[in-house]
Amino acid sequence: MREEIKEKPEVEGVSRRSVLKGAVTLGALAAGGGIALNMSMPGTAEAAAKKLPAKWDEEVDVLIIGSGFAGLAAAAEASSRGRKVLILEKMPIYGGNSIINGGEYASSDDKYHIRQKLNLGEDSTKQHFDDTMKGGDYYNNPALVKIMVEDAPATLNWMMDQGGLKMREIASRAGGHTAYRARTCVAGVGRCFTEALKKMAEQSGVKIRLETAVTWVWRKDWEGPVLGVEAVTGKRTKNIKIKHALVFASGGFGQDIKMRQDFNPSITPSVNCTNHKGATGETIRYAQAIGADALQLAFIQLYPFAEPETGILDTSAVFPFRGPGIGIVYVARTGKRYVSELDRRDVCSRAAIATDSKPTYSIFNEKMTPLLGSAEELKKGLENGRFIKAETLKDLAGKIDIPADVFAETIRKHNQYLADGKDPDFNKPITAKMLPIVDGPFYALPQWPAVHHCMGGLRINEMAQVVDVWRKPIPRFYAAGEVAGGVHGSNRLGSNATPDAIVFGRIAGTNAAKEKPMA
Amino acid sequence: MKRILLSIFLMAALLCLHYFVAGSRTAEAAKPAAASCQACHADFTSVLPKGHPPAKGTGLAACTSCHAPDLTGIAKKNAFSSRMHTAHVGPKGSLDCTACHTWVPNKRFGLIGQKWSWGAPKKEDMDLMKEIFISWANSGHTDTLHAKAGIVCTQCHGKELPKADDTVENSRCLTCHGPMEKLALKTEPKDFKGRNPHKSHLGDIACTVCHKGHRESKVYCLGCHQNFQMKIQGAAKP
Repeated sequence: MREEIKEKPEVEGVSRRSVLKGAVTLGALAAGGGIALNMSMPGTAEAAAKKLPAKWDEEVDVLIIGSGFAGLAAAAEASSRGRKVLILEKMPIYGGNSIINGGEYASSDDKYHIRQKLNLGEDSTKQHFDDTMKGGDYYNNPALVKIMVEDAPATLNWMMDQGGLKMREIASRAGGHTAYRARTCVAGVGRCFTEALKKMAEQSGVKIRLETAVTWVWRKDWEGPVLGVEAVTGKRTKNIKIKHALVFASGGFGQDIKMRQDFNPSITPSVNCTNHKGATGETIRYAQAIGADALQLAFIQLYPFAEPETGILDTSAVFPFRGPGIGIVYVARTGKRYVSELDRRDVCSRAAIATDSKPTYSIFNEKMTPLLGSAEELKKGLENGRFIKAETLKDLAGKIDIPADVFAETIRKHNQYLADGKDPDFNKPITAKMLPIVDGPFYALPQWPAVHHCMGGLRINEMAQVVDVWRKPIPRFYAAGEVAGGVHGSNRLGSNATPDAIVFGRIAGTNAAKEKPMA
Repeated sequence: MKRILLSIFLMAALLCLHYFVAGSRTAEAAKPAAASCQACHADFTSVLPKGHPPAKGTGLAACTSCHAPDLTGIAKKNAFSSRMHTAHVGPKGSLDCTACHTWVPNKRFGLIGQKWSWGAPKKEDMDLMKEIFISWANSGHTDTLHAKAGIVCTQCHGKELPKADDTVENSRCLTCHGPMEKLALKTEPKDFKGRNPHKSHLGDIACTVCHKGHRESKVYCLGCHQNFQMKIQGAAKP
C-alpha cells in the first residue's frame, strides 16, 4: 500500500523555490517496451497497435493536461515546489472554458470581508457546504465538498496575494445559495482568474504548449503507475514521460454532442452550449481505457440565461445570474413569471424550456444595474443590442413583443410580494435586499438555456488522485476541475465551479509535486 | 544520446529550387557544384534590373559577392533572398534547392561557395521545406500574402532554420503590423466597437490563433460568436 500523501496547500507565505531551468531532459529514455494496458475492443486496430513506446521523446517532472483554472493552479503549486512542469493544451489559446467563464467565485469569506462590509448578512463554510449538498440533491461526495468550501476563502486570498487578482466590491446571492457569496473579479470574466494563475505558474517556470492534444495515456498494468502520454502537435506525435505525476485538468464534455447523448439523451443535439469548442470528452475515455473510474456522467447542467441564438455566455448573460438576490424578475413570453428566480439552475432551465416559447426575459430597472454589473458592461450590452431599454414598462413590453397589461400586472404583483415578504406564486424566499421594480428606465434581456457544465467525470479522492474501478488510486495520476466528478452532485450551484477547479487543482499539483521520482 | 533536433525546415536566405521537381538528392549530389546559372540565364543582363552594373561570372558568386545573404533574420522587405526565392519558386520556376544550396542530410545546409551552415536538415525536414515553399508561393494563405510583399521565411521566423513546430511570436508580426493599439484601431468595427478581434475578452493571445502561416486562416471568434460578421485575409485559396 502506498502512503497517503494528502496535503492541503499552504496558503500564507508559500516560499517559491527556484525552479530547475533549461530545456526538457534530453536523451532517449528507456521505457521497457511491452504491451500497454489497453481497454480497446479486442481485434480493433487500436487494441493491436498500442504497444508501450520503445523510447520516450521527452520527460517532464509533472505533466498537466489542460490550461484552465485547475491546470494552471496545479502547475503553480507543482512548480513552486521546484518541479519542472509542462502543460499541454490542445486549443490555440490557453484557458479553456475558464478564460471565458463568468468570473464568479463562491466563497463564504475573503481577506477584505466584502460581504460583511456591504452588510449582506451571514455566511459560513457550513452554510456553503449545506447549500452545495442540497443543490446537488446530495449526490455530491461530502468529503470533496467539505474541502472545496473550506479552502475557497484561502484560495481566493492566495490569488489576490500572489497573482495580483482584483475583485469587485460586490457579493451576489445566486440561485440555490442562501447567502451573498458569489464574488466577481474586476474584469467580470474568468480571464482575471486565469491571468492571476498563469502569472504565478509562469513565475516559477511553467511552460504551456498549445495546440497539443493527448491521444493516449500510457500505463503498463493494473497495479502500476501512469507512465506518460502520447500527444500530437500538428503532424508530430510525441511520447512524453512523467518523472513524478500526471494531472488531468482537461475540462468537461459540453461540446461533445455524441457523449452528451450517450449519457443524457434528454439533452438533444440542437441544444446550444456555452462552452468553448474544445470541451470534448476524449480524455475521460483515455483515462477509462487504463482503468479509471468515472461517475455521474449523466448530470449535465444547462445555464438558464445564455444568449438565445448562439448559446454564448457573454457579460450580459451574467446579469441574470447576479440578479435574484436583488429582485430581478424572469418572465416568459406570456408576460408572466415562470419560476422562483432564486431557484437552482436545473429548475430555472426546466421551467424555461417548459414555457415552450423562446426566449424568456430578465427584467430589471436602472436602480438595480450597479448591483448587476459594471457601467461599462451595461453600456456595451446596450450598444450591441443585448439589453433592451425603455422608459415605461408598457414600452418595454412593446419592444419585446409580450402582452403589456399582463406584464405590468406581473411586475406589480411581484413588487407586492416583496413588500409582503411572501411569494405565493413560486414561493421565492424574499429578502430585505430585494428591490421592487418601480421607477424606470426599465431593461429586458432575452435568455434561454444552453449546456454549460458537466457535473460528472473521473472519480477522484480527497487527494485528487484518480481512482480505478476497484476504488484504488491509480499511482501518479491526478485529476481536478470539470474533468473530475462528484463535487457538485446532480446540479452545480452557480459560482461553485471556480473554487472547485482551483482548490482541487492546487491539491493535485501539490501532491503531484510530492511524488518521488520514478525509477 | 542527444535528442535529435526535430526538423528544421526553412531557412532564409536563398534559393530552393529544382528540388521541387527532382525530389531528394543524395549527399554526393550536394557537393559544391559548378553552380552555373547559364543553363537558363545565358546572360545575366536579361534578368537584372535597369541600371544594375554588369554581373561578373556565370555562377552564384556573381550575386553573393555583393548581395551578402541575410544572416541576421531581420524583417526587411524585398531582401535579396526574397527576390531570388520569389523568382525561382512556384509558378515562376521550378528548380531543385541544390541548384544553389548545399545540403548534406543530417549535417549541413548552406549556399554553394559559402562556408556557413544554417543547420542539419534531415530528408523529412527538406520535404517539409519543399511543401512550405510551395505553399508560400501559391497557396493564397498568409504565407503567399507575404511572398507577394517580398517577405521570405527569415523575416518571420528569424535567422535559424525553423523547426517543424515553430511558431511566429507576436512581437515579430508587430515589427511590421504594430503597434498593437494602432492595429486594433484599424479593425474596430463602426457599429459594435466591442467586437474587435484585436482587442477581445481573451486578452493577449497569439496572432497565429487566427492568422495561420501555411494553412487556411480562420477567425477564432466565430467558433462561439456565430452571428458576428468578420473576415480574414488568407482564409482560402484565391
